[in-house]
Amino acid sequence: MECRELTDYAVDRLLGEAAAPERDELERHLAGCGSCSRELAALEETWGELGTDRDDPVTPEFRVRTLELLEDEMSRRRIREFHPRKRALRIFAQAAALAVAAAAGFLVAARGGFPARPVSAGSPLEPAAGANTAPDLAVNPRLSNVAYRTEPDGRVGIEFDSTTRHSVLGRPEDPQISRLLAYLLSLNVQTAGEKSRAIELVSGHSGPGAAEASPDVVSALGATLKRDRNPGVRKKAAEALASFRSTPEIRAALLDALASDPNPGVRLVAVEALAASAKETPDPKTIQSLREKAFDPQENGFVRARAASALKAIDL
Amino acid sequence: MAGGLIDDRSLLERIRRGDAGGAEELFERYAPALLRFASRMLSDRETAEEVTQEVFVKVISRAHQYDGRAAVSSWLFAIAANACRDRKRHDRRATIVPLEAVGDLSASGEGADARLESRQRRAAVRQALASLSDEQREALVLARYHGLPYAEISKVLGISVGAVKTRIFRAVETLKARFSEGERSWNAAN
Ligand SMILES: [Zn+2]
Repeated sequence: MECRELTDYAVDRLLGEAAAPERDELERHLAGCGSCSRELAALEETWGELGTDRDDPVTPEFRVRTLELLEDEMSRRRIREFHPRKRALRIFAQAAALAVAAAAGFLVAARGGFPARPVSAGSPLEPAAGANTAPDLAVNPRLSNVAYRTEPDGRVGIEFDSTTRHSVLGRPEDPQISRLLAYLLSLNVQTAGEKSRAIELVSGHSGPGAAEASPDVVSALGATLKRDRNPGVRKKAAEALASFRSTPEIRAALLDALASDPNPGVRLVAVEALAASAKETPDPKTIQSLREKAFDPQENGFVRARAASALKAIDL
Repeated sequence: MAGGLIDDRSLLERIRRGDAGGAEELFERYAPALLRFASRMLSDRETAEEVTQEVFVKVISRAHQYDGRAAVSSWLFAIAANACRDRKRHDRRATIVPLEAVGDLSASGEGADARLESRQRRAAVRQALASLSDEQREALVLARYHGLPYAEISKVLGISVGAVKTRIFRAVETLKARFSEGERSWNAAN
């Protein structure tokens, strides 16, 4: 070996990666080279010094917090995989939904004040196989056993039991379909997975040229974000609100979530959406709330950092 | 890291099947190492915890993508290394090394002076690590603090064994220069 190769040889040896011939070569060189011997001592000291940096332990608090998060994530995945895709799966999903509804005693409770308008026959809703018409939503019908499917052409099929089994088909942006989805969202009969699916279907496309949401959809998403017990569903609702062109109603719902949702993941979606909206429309209430979050020592680090970077980007 | 290869793979299989117990066991087995890694890459305890959580959430959603070519531990470190890089890209705050964040984790029973000195040394090491390039630091941390052989580090980082060696050697050279400089100024001040 040569003097300039000392580090290579020394580190290999320190890491236990040096083969016997390599180790012997190093020893032979050191025996005749005082400068490398001194260098080696310095390298070994550096290596030892690195060892004084003790490991950060997993605290019980971090452990509990993370295990909760993972459990939440696992159950959300089970729900996601439950989405009917193929025919066999659909039948399974309906059977499972039936079981859930039966367990819940077919409890149907429409949230008060939801502005439902009738979905009449002759609308763009095409009856799917089984030829049914959509129900009149004005009478707050009891709907249960909801199943969704997406056709290859982008249309969505919605099946549910009212007095009979209904099956409707249409584009998610059709007003009647979006109103039906919003109505379904406002019912307590759906599982978290079904709600997530309904939310995905009513979501817009964020970014420039984002569509304006219908008031029904905003109100249903706002109610879900405020009251749903499942943080995954609330997060989805916040993401859906963020996918539409920002309005005072949408901002109010997101500000409320940022201020009071117990789940940091939901608050993070809210802060990101508000940051994007504040960049376009510097709404004073939004900026004030971002400022509070950026300096709130109790707040989750992610949320705080996003609030701070949002303020920087707005360039006040 | 603890845990046999077959055991690790069966844990991923359980996660794929939706068994929350599998995720919990994987956490118990690997959270300490992944947190240590993130904490040395990001030099900030809170951010390191957040990134470690992210890693496990990613593992749950990607359990089906694990192809068995590398050890599960290497696959986990690869996800962690990416998560740390992403975090630094998005959050400049993460590269700052606040002294107080280094914390006082000294064992009880040590005297105040010893505690202070150990704290200062730890802070000096963290600062020295932070002075390395991210590429050098990843390789060095995996070798020095996780005992990963060159071949495994090459799988984690997706680079050749030669490149792994070069990064580690350069890192050690930089650190050696930094520590000897620190010692000189320490001796001059005392
Ligand atoms: Zn020499």
